[in-house]
Amino acid sequence: MLPDATVVKHILAEAGLADTDVQETTLGLVCTVAPAEVAPAFAALKDSELDFVMLVDLMGTDTGEDIELSYHLRSFTRDEELHVKCTVAYDAEIASVWNAYPSALMPERETAELLGLTLSGHPNPKRLLTVDGVEPLLRKSSLIRTLQEVRER
Amino acid sequence: MTDARDIATEVGMLAPEGTHDPGLPPAGIRRAPEGVDGLTTEHLIINMGPQHPSTHGVLRMIVEMDGEEIVSAEASIGYLHRGIEKLAEHRRYNALGTLMDRGDYVSGIHGELASALAVEKLMEIEIPRKADYLRVLLSEINRIASHLVWFGTFGLDTGAMGQFLYAMRDREFLVDILESITGSRMMFNYVRPGGVLADLPVGMDAQIREFSDGFDAYLQEHHELLGGNEIFQHRVKGIGTIDRDSALAFGLSGANLRGSGVAFDVRRDRAYSAYDDMEFDVPVGSTGDAWDRYMVRMEEMRQSNRMIRQCLDGMPEGGFTAKVPKVLRPPAGEVYAAVESSRGETGIHLVSQGGDTPYRFHYKAPSLAVLQALEEILPGHLLADVVMIIGSTDIMLGEIDR
Amino acid sequence: MAIDRFTGENSIAFIKLEQLFDVARRNSLWYMAFGIACCAIEGLMSASGPRFDFDRMGVFFRASPRQADVMIVAGTVNQKMAETVKTLYDQMPEPKWVVAMGACACTGGPFREYPNVVLGVDQIVPVDVYIPGCPPRPESVQYGFMQLQDKIKKQTEDRLAARRDSR
Repeated sequence: MLPDATVVKHILAEAGLADTDVQETTLGLVCTVAPAEVAPAFAALKDSELDFVMLVDLMGTDTGEDIELSYHLRSFTRDEELHVKCTVAYDAEIASVWNAYPSALMPERETAELLGLTLSGHPNPKRLLTVDGVEPLLRKSSLIRTLQEVRER
Repeated sequence: MTDARDIATEVGMLAPEGTHDPGLPPAGIRRAPEGVDGLTTEHLIINMGPQHPSTHGVLRMIVEMDGEEIVSAEASIGYLHRGIEKLAEHRRYNALGTLMDRGDYVSGIHGELASALAVEKLMEIEIPRKADYLRVLLSEINRIASHLVWFGTFGLDTGAMGQFLYAMRDREFLVDILESITGSRMMFNYVRPGGVLADLPVGMDAQIREFSDGFDAYLQEHHELLGGNEIFQHRVKGIGTIDRDSALAFGLSGANLRGSGVAFDVRRDRAYSAYDDMEFDVPVGSTGDAWDRYMVRMEEMRQSNRMIRQCLDGMPEGGFTAKVPKVLRPPAGEVYAAVESSRGETGIHLVSQGGDTPYRFHYKAPSLAVLQALEEILPGHLLADVVMIIGSTDIMLGEIDR
Repeated sequence: MAIDRFTGENSIAFIKLEQLFDVARRNSLWYMAFGIACCAIEGLMSASGPRFDFDRMGVFFRASPRQADVMIVAGTVNQKMAETVKTLYDQMPEPKWVVAMGACACTGGPFREYPNVVLGVDQIVPVDVYIPGCPPRPESVQYGFMQLQDKIKKQTEDRLAARRDSR
């Protein structure tokens, strides 16, 4: 179920990412890389013996100081799962991974829109869920309505 | 009064002057190649939705057409974006089920179960075996109810109206059972972290068995009514094919993935609750067309019926909930828990920082991947097939927009 | 006596044309199929299904707003949907009525705290009947329609009374 951490490190090292941080947590096997290394890491993992063919989902979390992106990969032939994380600054530009995993097309648009990031290399980087002019609603600085506002609708 | 060119510019199909990036795929209204007798035609942009009798929710499809054939399609969503993920950061852990009920609203038990499993995994709570069996029983009842809604509306999408009423009739039996057990016809709020709300009422076992004994025959009747209809078969066979590699690349799950030939079922391969005790087959299609997806779901209903009988026969003694504190405070950490809902793999990625509300609650919806795949496979089909293909994939806009 | 149905003040022989139209309108309220969210499954699909049969009240759905009398707003309206709701309401020909079904359409519902959600559809279109619930039972929706029928009858009577008094 969990891939071998040394194999993952070896594959990433061959792709040029030396000494990546791979740990086992409650989430599973988590591999932390720099934002610029995500695309080469995915290209390497997809074509390797580990055969991670599907990007199950991606999400972004506002940690308070920056935004942490988390990608969830799955291999069906080996029945293994891997999580890849990277940290970007607020209002940063993230490179799309749709070339390796087309299932990232809409989740990336949604994450960029709700957390205030910009997408590069995406065929359709428009807003997905909200109308123009809405602030990034998933940031911790975006507040929900108070009871007072609801009562006085 | 907006015309087609305004809509095209708004959705980016017609790039404003001087803004088209040559590195990206081409966009814009294209002229069709010169045809017979030097006749040239323009493509027509048609807007389907958000108010549309057949889009299974508020989906807006903007299709560019060359005559009757689709050249490109784009889905515009967000008409039901209600902030389930944001509001979850302000709700206690045992109230998350109420939000998940309203995500994929036709199969509420699966959503509640996913969030309960995530909390239990993080807090390492052991729940009584009876609660596991009750969860599986209600999950399978809800799966049949959801597939009946799909069956009724899928026929409507191809123009058949009779099977809708038969499906609703059978669904009323199930909804009565669910109402007796959980108290509500739709927003159950039954599966909680630690167990379930209550045990089965007196006489419920007999009522469920009565339904289950007759359902296989009803299912055969429904299949003969719709699937045996030659017009339906001509409309559905060979249309809307998603091949195996595309299905994996676009992140499909559930019946859509199995219809394309990948035998992955979260109940069997990542067994949770009491599914390790259940005996069931997982139907897998071969070509990935709409007919395969239809047959996979019909067979899934039969297997769910089998599991309902196994749950009733093997129901253990014991309590229906573990002793959990009134206010749950999981330790800091992250967890991902998935269930096989009627639409695919519903996953919850939960981040906790030790407080009494989640820090981040991400709801992985199986229908979102399907929408991306639809944009890819619709070109080449006829306009009438669009509605049928959307229906064959059984999307639910509540969970896509969250 | 039975014969008073045909003669006398409120009889069929002396019914005004307006009252006749009013009876026709009340008993064939066709709604526009506009299910936004969860309430659509209960109030539109289940209520029109074989058990709760809306058709016996003369109510069934029309796909196009141009052919509908009632717009049942079933579900949460958010900022992106608000423009569509207004456009559809404008496209319906008179006489038209709006039924706000469910807590979300009445006042925002369980999602009222999210900034993207509009606090009730009456911020966008005028509402005639509010049906609370999350989701309301199909019988509640049918009761709401019966209330709407009473409201239409009362509106007609008020109109006729005003005309009679002003003469």
